[in-house]
Amino acid sequence: MLTSDGFAWTNRWHRHHPAEKGLLAGGMLVLAVTLPAPTTAPIIIAVMFVTTVLGAGIPAVTWLRLMALPSGFLITSVPFLALSLNFSSGLQVVFSPQGLEVALSVLLRSLAAVSCLTFLTLTTPTIDLVPLLRRVGVPPAVVEIMLLTYRLVFVFLERAATGHQAQIARQGYVGLRNTLRSLGLLVTSLFQRSLERSRRMEIGLTARGFQGELRVLAPKRSISRARVASAAGLLLGVAAAGLVLDATVR
Amino acid sequence: MHIMEGFLPPAHAAAWTAAAVPFVVAGSRSIARILKENPQAKLLLATSGAFAFVLSALKLPSVTGSCSHPTGTGLGAVLFGPSVMAVAGAIVLLFQALLLAHGGITTLGANVFSMAIVGPWIAYGVFRGIRGLRGSLAVAVFFAAMLGDLATYVTTSVQIALAFPDPASGFTGALLKFTSIFAFTQIPLAIIEGLLTVIIINLLSQYSRSELVGLRFIPGEAK
Repeated sequence: MLTSDGFAWTNRWHRHHPAEKGLLAGGMLVLAVTLPAPTTAPIIIAVMFVTTVLGAGIPAVTWLRLMALPSGFLITSVPFLALSLNFSSGLQVVFSPQGLEVALSVLLRSLAAVSCLTFLTLTTPTIDLVPLLRRVGVPPAVVEIMLLTYRLVFVFLERAATGHQAQIARQGYVGLRNTLRSLGLLVTSLFQRSLERSRRMEIGLTARGFQGELRVLAPKRSISRARVASAAGLLLGVAAAGLVLDATVR
Repeated sequence: MHIMEGFLPPAHAAAWTAAAVPFVVAGSRSIARILKENPQAKLLLATSGAFAFVLSALKLPSVTGSCSHPTGTGLGAVLFGPSVMAVAGAIVLLFQALLLAHGGITTLGANVFSMAIVGPWIAYGVFRGIRGLRGSLAVAVFFAAMLGDLATYVTTSVQIALAFPDPASGFTGALLKFTSIFAFTQIPLAIIEGLLTVIIINLLSQYSRSELVGLRFIPGEAK
């Protein structure tokens, strides 16, 4: 099981309508990428931390761990934004103050954007968000494939973890050669079992009169006006604070 | 290689999304057509999407010590075809963003473009080309997976270089900078993924012949 998905189903806000959480995360994301990063981004990170940890009741450690995950990409690319190549007199690598400024603002903007995504990941089961896609014009067939994919992801993840564990127990990952062979075997058996499973599901569904559409009861949730209003208020507040701060700093 | 959330400036994020949309729409049209004839194909598509997601959760050994994961781009492209991969890839990338906070929503378009469109099409083209020239299956699969991976990494570098041109030498300098940094991890990874894909295809043609025939990957009578 994925830790983040576990929290998505059990956090304090998991019964709230997904559109409410989507509005907050999506709105903040838009603010994060459009407003000047040096002033707005820290406010967004702070606000998202507070809503995720104090609001939805996610442990701070989990939040930090999920935030740290994408930092590998930042470590390998951001420092190089501050370096500049100059071809005018041979090849020269120089430090550029202008580049450093860009690097810092990209770093902050990315972290702020990731904090919005992390909020969504930890508080909202992905499956709740998928039906919202139908409203924005994604064809129903694709939406249904997504719902099925979601279900199967967890079935296969469990299978992969079990197989991986068994291979580790048999020294399957000692050295590069063994590792590649073990991974190959694992993927192959996964593929075989996946197709087998999809065929079994196909037979089972056909036997129950499957016509190409799965009908399920969705839990009825109403959108709370108070929560939408507070999310909108928070967005306006952050935008105003960021812009005012930006104007005073300059 | 995922570009993380918020990394690209808004204009670039929007432009890459606009570039990726036609491919995904065309892919979903062809999926809708397949489904009309054969509603059961829905399950196969969902299976391949979930399979690709789980592939990316497996760790690959990497030379620099950091672990990385197979993209499965080449494998998916040769097994399922590149137009279907555009949709399956977009779904997988969206799930990676929403489930794992890996990649992102604003950078989804850019990531779909490099990983679900350029990578699979290059891999498929290379595979068909080498097979057409009577190259062996293993050679075709190796180069398809490896070059598909490399194409993805070069596309990502181009995307970043366009967004952040070098202050002194512009786009060329930035492209040189990013391709050479990412080369340290991406070239060994591409070779490893190529080898792994060959191993997988060999094992599959040994143990899953009927499935491969069913996917029309190898000719023969489906059971």
